[in-house]
Amino acid sequence: MYYLGVDVGSVSTDIVVLDEKLNVYDQVYLRTKGRPIEAIQRGFKQLKNKYKDKEVRAIGTTGSGRGITSFILGADCVKNEITAHAMAGVYYDKEVKTIFEIGGQDSKIILLNQGVVTDFAMNTVCAAGTGSFLDRQAERLGIPIEEFGNYALKSKLAVRIAGRCAVFAESDMIHKQQLGYDSADIIKGLCEALARNYLNNVGKGKDIQPKVFFQGGVAANIGIKEAFEKILGFEIFVPKYYNVMGAIGAALLAKETVESKRCKTNFKGFDISDHVFITNSFQCKDCPNECEVVRILDGEVEIGCFGDRCGKWNQKSHIKSS
Amino acid sequence: MVVTFPHLGNTYIACKIMFDSLGIDYVIPPLSNKEALRIGAFHSPDEICLPFKIMIGNYIQSIEKGADTVIIVGSCGPCRLGEYCELQMSVLKNLGYQVKFIVVDYPGEIGIKELASRIGYISNQSHKKKIEKLRALYRAVKAIRLMDYIEQSARMIAGYEINRGECKRLLLQCRDRVFNESDPSKALKILKSYKAKLSKIPIDKKRKPLKIAIVGEIYTNIESFANHFIEDTLMDYGIATYKSLSPSWWLKYTGLKVLKLHAVRARLAAKQYLKYEVGAYAKETVGEAVLAYERGYDGIIHLLPVGCMPEIVSKSILTSIAKEKDIPIMTLLFDEMTGEAGYLTRIEAFIDLLERRRRDHVLSWR
Ligand code: SF4
Ligand code: SF4
Repeated sequence: MYYLGVDVGSVSTDIVVLDEKLNVYDQVYLRTKGRPIEAIQRGFKQLKNKYKDKEVRAIGTTGSGRGITSFILGADCVKNEITAHAMAGVYYDKEVKTIFEIGGQDSKIILLNQGVVTDFAMNTVCAAGTGSFLDRQAERLGIPIEEFGNYALKSKLAVRIAGRCAVFAESDMIHKQQLGYDSADIIKGLCEALARNYLNNVGKGKDIQPKVFFQGGVAANIGIKEAFEKILGFEIFVPKYYNVMGAIGAALLAKETVESKRCKTNFKGFDISDHVFITNSFQCKDCPNECEVVRILDGEVEIGCFGDRCGKWNQKSHIKSS
Repeated sequence: MVVTFPHLGNTYIACKIMFDSLGIDYVIPPLSNKEALRIGAFHSPDEICLPFKIMIGNYIQSIEKGADTVIIVGSCGPCRLGEYCELQMSVLKNLGYQVKFIVVDYPGEIGIKELASRIGYISNQSHKKKIEKLRALYRAVKAIRLMDYIEQSARMIAGYEINRGECKRLLLQCRDRVFNESDPSKALKILKSYKAKLSKIPIDKKRKPLKIAIVGEIYTNIESFANHFIEDTLMDYGIATYKSLSPSWWLKYTGLKVLKLHAVRARLAAKQYLKYEVGAYAKETVGEAVLAYERGYDGIIHLLPVGCMPEIVSKSILTSIAKEKDIPIMTLLFDEMTGEAGYLTRIEAFIDLLERRRRDHVLSWR
């Protein structure tokens, strides 16, 4: 028996399979490339031959594409990223008080008290410090992203980089590079700038208590972890499955939903990868709201519809389960 | 004369009823939407707050439809920050619109006489008898109070309704129907009938829905477009929402202010935290938050638009109230970039937070 969790972000899509004991049994990582439905279909194609439909006991979705993909998959639980990340963090360690999550596109901070979220903040505007930004810098310096963190560790003295904003950080780095600074020192400087930037923006005014979990793709970067530790003065923990915590959270939440409702899963089966899904959108002109209404068709059948404020296009869609 | 006015929640319904009764020509701007914001943002100073821009959009869309007289609510309007209305007038003048402005302001600022003469100007355009004019005003006040009442109740009852979505449907339908009725007395009848309908919606009194209070900057509170229709979203999730700010609240506030009896309770509650006036309604924001805590709300959502100074002050005070009273308060900052997903994620996460907190309390109580 398995529980599936799907985290559909704008950059990447993760699928995890948890076994009966809730251990991570399998995981798939995909690039979303702005087409969440296709990403999901590619992912399930990979899983199709390994598992049977009836072995799935629950499935949950999270991430910015959670809504769209839930229609396709028949998700039992559709949850926001904050709740999903918190759920997974607490599952691995009940003592967690703070979660830093830095992914490809955005960053979050979550504060918890005895396993319950008490406060959170999200930054979707500033790109400095997100995974995509780091990828670009690594590429520019000609260093594989996996090595990025290790480089920072080699440095003894960080170069100070202005990290308040992605544009400044980038031009400042180029400038320091031209001045002939050592790459390692620049990278270390960048890591410190990004950690400071995160704490001053997303973490602004938050009471950051240990134990801190560092989740999301950027947690792979040991240089940033160290920079956090240096600034905060205590150890930061990177959980083993740091880069799929959202998906794990979604799977755990789906399990909880199915169990508390004592119902069967709505999972539509692995062969969704063979279906042809069509999404079309149109602008409703019936009132000044001019909603962008999106419809998802499985062949000829409409399986989902959203975007209408008044609910006139889909009476069901405006009754959500939070 | 063809008058127009900016949108502020349900006021257009009352204005329509009033002008219909007076027999004065008017143009109601299209309900605030992305286009209004785009136009407004394009013609307004960059660093000005969001409400300003949307209102400019409203004016321009109306002028294009033939309005030649713009009624602007003065410094007592959404904000007491200085030259709000003068600035709006100069923006429109600089664009070359030949329109007349009538600034309706709080009598303390311009004196009762001046206010009377400005209102007199509007009223002289009507050929109705004096008694008819008084009736028009009476109807307008009645309409706004009814409509605000219906909205406020529907948002609260949504937490208890048995057929999910019924309150929202009723509310939208009600607005739609009064708006399409040009006979003022029939319009009032419609409002009354919806008030009655609302009280008959089947509810489950035993349900204990999450209760959220909404506070913050007045325009963003009242004009749903400016807050991405947050209350509709909360209704969809079956949450009982309370918001004290509404056009009728403002009417009462401004009226009572002459006697210094405005928003007494909220202002008293705020006293401990905020002793001085910081402009706009920051004091009321803080006070309402304290009251919401005292009334047992699960959480508070604080709304403010980008570029709003007074509410930044209340934001920092709310942070300390949240800590002291142990009540979750989430601040949502609204800007021109309409990124729907980010708001939804925050609202959902906040609801989850409140739900889990409650469950936790129940467990420890057991
Ligand atoms: S879907 Fe409803 S709210 Fe949206 S534009 Fe059409 S009529 Fe208006
Ligand atoms: S209170 Fe804030 S948002 Fe409202 S008008 Fe004043 S500055 Fe603008």
